[in-house]
Amino acid sequence: MSLPAHITAGPGAAPSRMPVYALVGNPNCGKSTLFNALTGLKQKVGNYPGVTVEKKIGTAYTQHGQPITVIDLPGAYSLAARSPDEAVTRDVLLGRRADTPQPDRILCIVDATNLERNLYLVHQILDLGRPVILVLNMMDLAARAGLRVRVTRLEHEFGIPVIPCEAVNGKGLIELKLAMSRAELPLSRHAWAIPAPIAPAVTELQASLIANDRKAPLIARAEALLLLTDQDSVRVAGSAPLGARTTEILRQWQSRWEEEGTDWAGTLVNSRYEVIGKICESVVTPADHTGPTASDRIDAFATHPVWGWLTLGAVMMLLFLSIFTLAEYPMNFIDRRIAALADAVKSAMPEGDLRDLITDGAIAGVGGVIVFLPQILILFFFIGLLESTGYMARAAFIMDRLMSRVGLNGKSFIPLLSSYACAIPGIMATRTIEDPKDRLVTILVAPLMSCSARLPVYLLMIAALVPGDRVPLLTKVGIMIFMYALGTFGAFAFAWLFKRTLLKGAPPVMIMELPPYRMPAIKDVAQHMLERAWLFLRRAGTVILGISIVLWFLAAYPKAPEGVTPTQQLAQSFAGRAGHALEPIIAPLGFDWQIGIGLITSFAAREVFVSTMSVVFNAEAKDDDTTPLRQAMLEAKWPDGRPLFTPLVCFTLMIFYVFAMQCMSTIAVVRRETNSWKWPLFQTAYMTGTAWVLSLLFYQAGRALGL
Amino acid sequence: MNADFQTIAALVVVALAATWLVVRAVQLRRKPGCGGGCACPTEKLKR
Repeated sequence: MSLPAHITAGPGAAPSRMPVYALVGNPNCGKSTLFNALTGLKQKVGNYPGVTVEKKIGTAYTQHGQPITVIDLPGAYSLAARSPDEAVTRDVLLGRRADTPQPDRILCIVDATNLERNLYLVHQILDLGRPVILVLNMMDLAARAGLRVRVTRLEHEFGIPVIPCEAVNGKGLIELKLAMSRAELPLSRHAWAIPAPIAPAVTELQASLIANDRKAPLIARAEALLLLTDQDSVRVAGSAPLGARTTEILRQWQSRWEEEGTDWAGTLVNSRYEVIGKICESVVTPADHTGPTASDRIDAFATHPVWGWLTLGAVMMLLFLSIFTLAEYPMNFIDRRIAALADAVKSAMPEGDLRDLITDGAIAGVGGVIVFLPQILILFFFIGLLESTGYMARAAFIMDRLMSRVGLNGKSFIPLLSSYACAIPGIMATRTIEDPKDRLVTILVAPLMSCSARLPVYLLMIAALVPGDRVPLLTKVGIMIFMYALGTFGAFAFAWLFKRTLLKGAPPVMIMELPPYRMPAIKDVAQHMLERAWLFLRRAGTVILGISIVLWFLAAYPKAPEGVTPTQQLAQSFAGRAGHALEPIIAPLGFDWQIGIGLITSFAAREVFVSTMSVVFNAEAKDDDTTPLRQAMLEAKWPDGRPLFTPLVCFTLMIFYVFAMQCMSTIAVVRRETNSWKWPLFQTAYMTGTAWVLSLLFYQAGRALGL
Repeated sequence: MNADFQTIAALVVVALAATWLVVRAVQLRRKPGCGGGCACPTEKLKR
């Protein structure tokens, strides 16, 4: 077989500098797992598509210790990118990104259980004329499904190294590293005849791209093929707009084909699939049985219109039951240690501002948040388990029935789901959404999903709900599920509203692959959980510590004359004055100036509300013993003697925090993702406005009912 | 450690904390994002 005309000898040789490998493949084929295994890094992985939305760079080492740069790229089904994350992959491979070196070699990772669909991208990548190593991942799952893949035959068909692999178990990594460290890699010998009606156009466009758009010959050919695959040439060109002459040539060909009635875009796609189909026929021996797999049998239940919802409800119930029950002992332990530390400082130091700063500011503020660490860990452990097993994709499938009714794109689910942990990765995950309006709607509603920063606020309020008594476990779980559901349905309601007013668009179509169920990768789950724990502690030890220290000052200064009560001191302090200034706006919601201080400071981040309450109520404490925050809150009163934190006020506060946009970091990320201040400001206004109105209605209705 | 010394030390700590928070906020404005401090993996995603 002769070499295709577009491939010339040369690029197979190892570059003189450290070689740069790009890791590419379809979504959810195990790229990030392989990337982690190669580089030793700990990038997030999950058994659902769309986990990676931006390129990541790491260093792997060959068997001989030579460094190799590996770029993990977002998953893509084709180089004809339709969403921002796919565009990153295309642009890096085509050398359009100034911030990323163009890869010398490409690692194409494919899911061995679904070879035909995965090979489409590989087929396009071979057009780039770069050395490619094909990694057949999930060989264990393919074997379990009864599929037999002839590796040698596939190697012969493409003329490139093919490495069978199980990235999650580390199998095949040595062979892969050996292949990666080869000084020279063969260029593909695969010959693909471009269909006759299209071939002259490819040649002409390639020539124009070289002459007029200054593209390298192989890149020009790959771009010409992409231009003739996608109806939208502007989308294909992306950040590198086409020159006038190339655009004219493209238009001329398109007009000619339209007159002739030639389906030019379909011709190329079909031609590729025809070639791939033939290869797969000779390479893959299908399973003897065609009956339902274990995943199919589980899905019959887990995605059932009725049982599916019940399963989802049961999973949520189990999650929150675990949060309340399993976390209780470590929380009490941490709480006692923090109180003991504060008491030890109080007894070791004489009275004075520095002692108060350490105990009432730093220890109370940071400790008030750290005490929720066990619950945060349990939350992320569950999220990790659900992601790792593949259940998250089923949850997306179930929710899509509801989401499509409100006009949300099926691809919105993963970003919304990520937002339960933190809105920021959720907003970044919207890059997988093709339609810009659908993407913007998802960005606007994502912060309504209850993130982990709200968890300490909910937990504190639930603890303070019933004075002098413990709240029954099922009531706690019920309230927690209600708060999460309120945020979720609030997001759906606003998505429905935006899709019918500000951001009208065609109803979206849900196309989502359900990955097979897998045993959870406990190591990955534990790693992710510990990483989150570290980030949580780091945040508590930096931002929250800083805010707590400043807040202590604002609550302690200016000093009142001798003899005033701690409450009077706080009331006339800077923080107290700010709280009093806000009180007319929040008093109709049942909140006093002390809660007002928390509302102001938690604009930095929601969990700062908890540390603020710790600082405020510790500043008011009369004795030298540290009072538990819950107790201090339950003892707090209005000037007329009424209790401040009634169940109605606690519930109203939770509703406020479900809807209020109180996270500076999220505002900054929305600004970056939308490239405008208009949307983050609008988002802050609509969310905080809704929080105020709903809290008002709830509180006043509760009062009218005598609660 | 008398009360005056404690007051001065406390105010110095407060000033340092406030300065650090302001510097951090300015850095975030220049390079929008969460800055890696929000318990999310954004810092890694940006790499």
